[in-house]
Amino acid sequence: MDKNLLLSLPGIESEEMLFIQEAIKDLSEDAQRNFLLLYQGRRKDPQTILICCIIGFVGVAGVQRFILGQIGMGILYFFTAGLCFVGTIIDLLNYKKMTLEFNQSQIVECKLLAASFRS
Amino acid sequence: MIKKLPLELISWIGSLLYLAGIDPHTEHMSLCVFHWLGFAWCPGCGLGHSISFLLHGEFLQSWNAHILGGFGLMVLFHRIGQLLRLEYSKYQLKFNVN
Repeated sequence: MDKNLLLSLPGIESEEMLFIQEAIKDLSEDAQRNFLLLYQGRRKDPQTILICCIIGFVGVAGVQRFILGQIGMGILYFFTAGLCFVGTIIDLLNYKKMTLEFNQSQIVECKLLAASFRS
Repeated sequence: MIKKLPLELISWIGSLLYLAGIDPHTEHMSLCVFHWLGFAWCPGCGLGHSISFLLHGEFLQSWNAHILGGFGLMVLFHRIGQLLRLEYSKYQLKFNVN
């Protein structure tokens, strides 16, 4: 039942789905539902990150870094026009991987939270 | 684009090695899109020189070139550390090393 709900996460790909399934397989049904509620609120859509990278070319640089929780890098990008666009270009090429890594860290956190929460 | 290589990690390490290797007094780095377009100055101007000076131990020159040189270097080191730890944990998972 939960497997179908995973498909509704925007922009999700197989690597992320497999990671989730592997992470929550030992949780109870209740905990799995709690996990999904938590994760939905924290997960970032790769397309959002892509758009933020593009914004770095035309306006403010570094937004994608701030969203992914990398405040130091965000400040650096902000004040240096994305390291003279070089940083923005790297992020543009790498955005899917960056987003996946962030989402994976959130999956681990949400799993711990869901497992420890007694409803 | 899904490449198996850790692009970001390679980029930062490569850049720092490059900046450490060159002589900041003589080299003119022009990896700046603003310069190519004809602007005289951009907010990232001098950052490369600044970090290069720092890696050669010249703190005053670094500050003159770009104020955020030191901050930038610290942030980059921190990010490289983060990425290295990430790659190592992936390696551990893949080969079941404990």
